Amino acid sequence: MASAWILPALLLGPLLMAACCLIPRSADAVIRFCAVGTLVLAIPGAAAVRHAAALGPLFAAERWLMVDALSAYHLIILLVVFGFSALFAPFYFAGEIRSGRFGVRTAARYGALWFGTIGAMLLVVLSNNLALMWVGVEATTLLTAFLIRLQVGPAALEAMWKYLVMCSVGVALAFMGTLLAAASAGGTGESALLGTDLMRRAEQLNPRMIKAAFLFLVVGYGTKAGLAPMHNWLPDAHSQAPAPVSAVFSGFLLNTALYALLRYLPIVEAATGQAGWARGILVAFGLLSLVVAAGFLAAQREVKRLLAYSSIEHVGLMALGAGLGGVGAVAALFHALNHSLCKSVAFCCAGQLGRIRGTLDLRRLAGSVRVAPVWGTGLFVALLALIGAAPFAIFMSKFLIVKAAADAGRYGVMALALAGLAAVFISVLRHAVALAWAPADAVVAPQKTSIRAAALVALPLAAVLALGLWIPRPFAALLLRAARIIGGFG
Amino acid sequence: MPSLGTGLNVLIGLAAAPLLPGIIARVKAMVAGRRGPPPLQGYYDLIRLLHKDHLRSRTATWVFGGAPAVGLAAVVCGLLLMPVGRQPAFFSFEGDWMVLLGCLALARWCAILAALDTGSGFAAMGASRDACFSALAEPALFILLAGLARQTGELSLSGMVAGLAPSAGLTDAPGLALLAAALGLALLAENARIPVDDPNTHLELTMIHEALVLEQAGPDLALMLYGAALKLWLFGLLLMNLLVAFADSFAVWCGMILMAAGIGVVESAMARLRLLKVPPLLVGAAALAALGFALIWRTTP
Amino acid sequence: MTAWENMLLAAVLLTGFAAVGSSRLATGIRALGAQGVLVGVLPLVHSVAGWNPRMVGFGAVVATTKGVLFPWLLSRAIRASQTRRETEPVVGYGASLALAAVLLPAAFWLADRAPLAVSQAGALMAPTAFTLMGMGLFLMVARRTAVSQVLGYLMLENGIHTFGLTVFTHLPLLVELGVLMDAFVAVFAMGIAIDHINREFDHMDTTRLTSLKG
Repeated sequence: MASAWILPALLLGPLLMAACCLIPRSADAVIRFCAVGTLVLAIPGAAAVRHAAALGPLFAAERWLMVDALSAYHLIILLVVFGFSALFAPFYFAGEIRSGRFGVRTAARYGALWFGTIGAMLLVVLSNNLALMWVGVEATTLLTAFLIRLQVGPAALEAMWKYLVMCSVGVALAFMGTLLAAASAGGTGESALLGTDLMRRAEQLNPRMIKAAFLFLVVGYGTKAGLAPMHNWLPDAHSQAPAPVSAVFSGFLLNTALYALLRYLPIVEAATGQAGWARGILVAFGLLSLVVAAGFLAAQREVKRLLAYSSIEHVGLMALGAGLGGVGAVAALFHALNHSLCKSVAFCCAGQLGRIRGTLDLRRLAGSVRVAPVWGTGLFVALLALIGAAPFAIFMSKFLIVKAAADAGRYGVMALALAGLAAVFISVLRHAVALAWAPADAVVAPQKTSIRAAALVALPLAAVLALGLWIPRPFAALLLRAARIIGGFG
Repeated sequence: MPSLGTGLNVLIGLAAAPLLPGIIARVKAMVAGRRGPPPLQGYYDLIRLLHKDHLRSRTATWVFGGAPAVGLAAVVCGLLLMPVGRQPAFFSFEGDWMVLLGCLALARWCAILAALDTGSGFAAMGASRDACFSALAEPALFILLAGLARQTGELSLSGMVAGLAPSAGLTDAPGLALLAAALGLALLAENARIPVDDPNTHLELTMIHEALVLEQAGPDLALMLYGAALKLWLFGLLLMNLLVAFADSFAVWCGMILMAAGIGVVESAMARLRLLKVPPLLVGAAALAALGFALIWRTTP
Repeated sequence: MTAWENMLLAAVLLTGFAAVGSSRLATGIRALGAQGVLVGVLPLVHSVAGWNPRMVGFGAVVATTKGVLFPWLLSRAIRASQTRRETEPVVGYGASLALAAVLLPAAFWLADRAPLAVSQAGALMAPTAFTLMGMGLFLMVARRTAVSQVLGYLMLENGIHTFGLTVFTHLPLLVELGVLMDAFVAVFAMGIAIDHINREFDHMDTTRLTSLKG
């Protein structure tokens, strides 16, 4: 079979590259290798996506691995986010490499962890075996924990500890959920762990057990996804990690956990007679996250924490959309891509601004557009897109999620979501305008504009803008097929 | 039912009880490399005390005078209810294990009342500590006896022990072992042994049981000491019944001597725990008993 | 084999009680080490079909990881920090033990409600698993030092492992290895973090890690 190489290449490639990073050359080389390697992974990735889009699900390793439309869609997000962050990393680490704080050994560790994280996330996205998926989620937790700690300092340490403990416990509970789900199938051998098999005989599952399983899974994977009220680790971890890592955290780590949850959603729904029980739980957690994030966003003083709370808001929106189903499910998936694009750009720009101005305090970052035209403008535009300013694709996806609530006749949900979105819009816009144009309290010489940096920042934002105006047909087809898996129409 | 053999067992208990503290003291001395008092020292002490005059505080009332006798009577009642290995108890009826616990509680209550009656600070302090620790040890005893009742489906002590003998298979072993461990801890606590209390201490501040009987002298003290020895005998019998339910009375007597020696070794090897550490130990004993009870609850059909 | 299984499970619960009821970190580490070994050999006792080399080998791996490696890592951490015992726990030891004892009937009740008759597990397996999970979570909230929290996490992990046995006689090897490896890396990472916390803050009281908020 011509496609047999794809999945092994996707899983083994990162491992091989991680090993390569451990052979120390120079810090520069490692960072460049990260970028090249991540882009190289796009080749088997694209092949997998093409196969899933054109020919249907692709299986491997006794159906333990699978690419269907939903995984293919997440694969795209993963590759885009990691590709962008890897390309941005040279800009971010350049100063540190020159000052000698980012030595060869740190770089080697960074590279190995980078590819290890990619490998773990690929494992999550590609596995059809739910226990294997769990192994992947837990592995991402542990590998990224070391990435937070890349920059020494008490605050980073505190963030790492909270992240490790909260997410380890959460993910352990998710394993309990996985076991319960298998038990609900009567635990007949290994096939009770295969997502496709569970789906096939969903009607025969024990409803009470699968409900218990889903509760454990929502709390467990929800912790990792940053759903309120299990979100406490998230702002700390995001704000303390190096910028490319924060970008990956917000851009795909949260999606990984949410993806794992979404895999269970249709199974649980089918097992409980499509009564909307599981969807109701997702809606509740989504709304709560939205409201909590709106509250915290208003009072934020630090730019990376601001972005982190915005991530909680957006994950909440995705959970809300997936919970509403129908057009909401489509919108939730679409929103995932848009959010990941914008948030990666925003984190990278914020990190770079922080470097240049020596602070992450929002007030002291005022007037950033003048000081660093590329990063300042990039952050401003990304923030605009994130709060849902009109022509950007995020406006479309937010609008569709709210519309899904209205379509379902759930006006209370709609009102609460709208109120939360409006609150977020106002408070973030206030910060964004000040950040861009308010008079700076200290005079900093404007930075030189680099064409490459400008192109790097502009490209994803342009993509979000373009997606807001026009969705390419093959992409739309993939999106709809992915949404159908989690209960969207189409 | 009352019979000659069972009556004999009670008499042997009444006669041999003061031997146990003597053996413990002897073993402790031997472990420490001394010769120690003779094993019969307990009897000598009792005789010596009985020859003394009554000496009571002027503030004490009839409660102080009556308490040792009532306490001793309560313990003797308990002894009547306790089977010895294969041989049933002198009296036996359904629910007698609760009466046994009640007798022990009554004895303790009398001692505490007597201590409070004198108005002495140290005695009252000892009384409060004793009350506290026994309140924590009692749940352990209660749970473990209830566990035995569940295990054997019998409601009298004699029935329990008789039911225990044939069923002592591997299935029940973990639960029974836990109950025995809990009983061991409760035994040490109820009888004021190390690591809960140090019977040899001379510092009033660290005393528990010794402070309780600080005000008694002469025959009163003799009654108290004899009661304490009987109580140790009673607990020893309970432990033996749990461990070697199938044995005849001679084997049980031998087991009692071994147990006394064991207590002596424990007392030599360990130091007394700080007062604050005792409640967790006793709660732990209750937890052990609860765990054993849970196991038994599950494994018996 | 149920008798042996019950005996092992009782011992597992005892180690749990020991960890919950002791203030000395070294005792807790030893208790969790013993618990790890017991949980590791549990599948061998549990198995109805008899042993096979894979099970024995895997049991040995789990027992060494949880019984030797983890305790070693954690004792290293407490040696470095010279933290011997947990001062000022959020919940005292007597109360903790009483709570653990109350957890047990609750776990029985829960296990009765869950229709878990899917494998040949004895009647004690699921309640033990739930109790361990409860005690693990309790340790994480009720203790302050970082090491105690790792111990709580380990106990939670052991509980889930035990629960897994009620569902599967054995998981696929790859999954089992993955789970074990994740547990190992988690403890390893936490150990490193504790080391660094010691060095940066001169303590490992996690309730005092409060610089990040809002």
